[in-house]
Amino acid sequence: MTRMDSKPTIDPKHREALESFARARASRRQVLQGAAGLAALGIAGRSRPVVARSAAPSLSPDAISAAQRALRQTADSAQAAVDAANALDPKPAQLNIAWEDQLQLQDPILFSGPLWEELTGIKINPIGKTFADLFPSQVAEHLGATGAYDVLSMVPSWTADFVTQGMVESLDPYIEQYMAPADLDDYHPLYKGLMTYGGQRYGLFDDGDVIILYYRTDLFEDPANKDAFKAQYGHELAAPKDWTEYDEIQAFFTELGGGNTWGGASQRKPGQVYGWFSEEFRNRGGRFFDDGTLDGTLDSEPGIATLTRMIESNKTMPPGVETWDFPQVLAAWMGGQLAMIGGTWPPIGRWSEGTTAEQLSWVPETQVKGKVGYSIMPMGHSLHNAGFSLAVSSDSPNKEAAYLFIQWLTSPTISLQRVMLPYALRDPYRLSHFTSEDYRARWPKAGDYLDTLMAAADGALLDIIMPGSAEYHTAIDQAVTAGMAGTPVEEALATGNAAFNEITDRIGRDNQKTAYENFKALKGSYYS
Amino acid sequence: MDMAETATRTPVTRSGPSLATKRRIEGWLLVLPAFLLILGLGIYPLLSSLVLSFQRWDLQSQEHPFVGLANYRDALLDVRVWNAFANTGLLVVGAVALEFLLGLGLALLFVGDFRGKRIAMPILILPVMVVPVVVGLTWTMLWDNQFGPINQVLSWIAGHEVNIIWLGHRNTALVAITVTDVWQWTPFMFLILLAALSGVNPELYEAASLDGAGWWQALRDVSLPGIARVIAVVILFRALDAFKIFDLVFMFTQGGPGTSTETISWYIYQLGFKFFRLGYASAVSYIVVILLTIIATLYVARFLRSADT
Repeated sequence: MTRMDSKPTIDPKHREALESFARARASRRQVLQGAAGLAALGIAGRSRPVVARSAAPSLSPDAISAAQRALRQTADSAQAAVDAANALDPKPAQLNIAWEDQLQLQDPILFSGPLWEELTGIKINPIGKTFADLFPSQVAEHLGATGAYDVLSMVPSWTADFVTQGMVESLDPYIEQYMAPADLDDYHPLYKGLMTYGGQRYGLFDDGDVIILYYRTDLFEDPANKDAFKAQYGHELAAPKDWTEYDEIQAFFTELGGGNTWGGASQRKPGQVYGWFSEEFRNRGGRFFDDGTLDGTLDSEPGIATLTRMIESNKTMPPGVETWDFPQVLAAWMGGQLAMIGGTWPPIGRWSEGTTAEQLSWVPETQVKGKVGYSIMPMGHSLHNAGFSLAVSSDSPNKEAAYLFIQWLTSPTISLQRVMLPYALRDPYRLSHFTSEDYRARWPKAGDYLDTLMAAADGALLDIIMPGSAEYHTAIDQAVTAGMAGTPVEEALATGNAAFNEITDRIGRDNQKTAYENFKALKGSYYS
Repeated sequence: MDMAETATRTPVTRSGPSLATKRRIEGWLLVLPAFLLILGLGIYPLLSSLVLSFQRWDLQSQEHPFVGLANYRDALLDVRVWNAFANTGLLVVGAVALEFLLGLGLALLFVGDFRGKRIAMPILILPVMVVPVVVGLTWTMLWDNQFGPINQVLSWIAGHEVNIIWLGHRNTALVAITVTDVWQWTPFMFLILLAALSGVNPELYEAASLDGAGWWQALRDVSLPGIARVIAVVILFRALDAFKIFDLVFMFTQGGPGTSTETISWYIYQLGFKFFRLGYASAVSYIVVILLTIIATLYVARFLRSADT
């Protein structure tokens, strides 16, 4: 008799099929193990250190010959770049360039891109990013090794981080073969210096963003205003030489305006206000770091004086100026509501004289045409804030073509056309730009405008150019806006110092000491 | 010899894969797309960020060494993290409380029929359908101190000029974000609570009325207990969602002035996508996940289970 056990009887012919099926189903544990394994593979792959980039590019002999021939005949870097690009074999069909979006993007879309394609057959594909996204998007593409960009837009203060991550190629080997030496010397010395980091050139400079002061000559030259101002303040009404004079003029015109017009305005919105602080701070003798310890020194006497004055000055600016960005300042200025702009970028000087381009239809119609004067910022040193160098991405499969494009773009002949485009946001940066008869004839005071930009560049202060510059600038920005929002000045700047020290410690004090020495060696780091 | 014995002794000849193998392959092929999707979009990023959180990953270095719990330790000692948590907490508590009270009030109004209900309803729920970025852009203009209508309306009410710089002062910027969030998400609360109230048995109200209960007693003793579970769930959902707030901070203040509106999501975004401190950002993210999990678990235990009693 068969002993009955507790298990149900399974038909044997089905048992094997059932057992096979049961074995075939992956258990939950197996699924998780498999997933973890796959994930680990991916993670392990990404955890590998970035491979060091090759230092010596392989240049096309035919391209070099073509370029050298062009340079012998014309000494024109633009022609040399075109001839060299046409001699490339294989020649890429397209170059992808990372570019600031909106108005800046119009240049490669409408002018330089089509012209380069016409000359060389290489299509330019501009990929627009907002200014805030430009840094992270370029870094992210590099970290992902996507090779998405051939040409990078590199703000000079980003150079340290881009170079540290191996994102950009050294351009010296290319410059040596393809560029006319005189064209290198045609860069204003400030911008020529910004192309170099650690003894090598990583970018060709392309946008002179020096901040200058704009004022209403009609208001300043009005006899009634001049007399009233002198009676009240004891000195002539003229472009302010220091911030005390600036605030006096601003208060004078604000009182005169009765709530409809004001003496002046400056950008105060979080994001770029660090520039206005860092300029005045260094004009007052302030330094970002202690030379010995590298501790932050924002809360030094110059820092406290700067932020205190800025907060006080806000009281005679339009109400709500703490939330004003570039468009608000522009709108108030173009509408004739301001006697001064306490520092802004060069395009406002051009737009004040009238805009014709369809792309600028959003710019308010100017009420100040022919009434604008230009001046270096109070205390004598303007800030060079942002600006762009064009760099060759180390991830690009078309490095040589990418270099030739940026050489052509920034060459004296082509760049002069670009800085004079009716919708241009590129600002003068070559000596030949500042002396161009064509540019100087654009409006009656264009010569004054260019002379002021050049003089400002002669003595300009630079953004911090060190690893972590974006973090340092953000720390200043947050300290300044905290002070403007009600935090006591000393406390706000002390918080900024603490942030500075945290950044420095994390990156490494020894590394940053070296980087800081390199920054101090640049003309424009400090003038005192 | 029975059939079982016959079956076991009958040799099985195979040509090609067995039925079980075929079924296995077919099964995997069918689930593979979904599996890869979940792996790629869910599990891989989770595990990858977990591994990152144990690494030192900074833009200023090409080395990414394993640092154990250092990132977590630094995060717990980071004043900015706690400041961001505090800002986020204030916003969540303030916004969700207001959304609940307003949503409940509107739901009580709409639970019965009235003239114009069909027109009013879609208008009321419009805010929740607007894209958050558009909400941010629009309300930036509303909050403008010079030209925005909010200051204008306050001026009319106060009888004198009101010129509050809502987005420019640390005391008012968070208020502005909270109010905007309430405007956008109250309709969500309203819809859920309305549905819950509509499900309460009307005979309970009749019985309460017969017992002499007034409006407030009916609300307190019939409506609220009847929808207690739904209240607990919707508050949890909304709080978890509000904790992640990012779009309004991005559009209004970028975390400023100073760090007065820096929420934890904004801070993580800055760390990870502006400064590329990927290891540290991952650690802070996981701290948030752990914290929210603990809070949600305790909340469920306290409120959802007790709602049954």
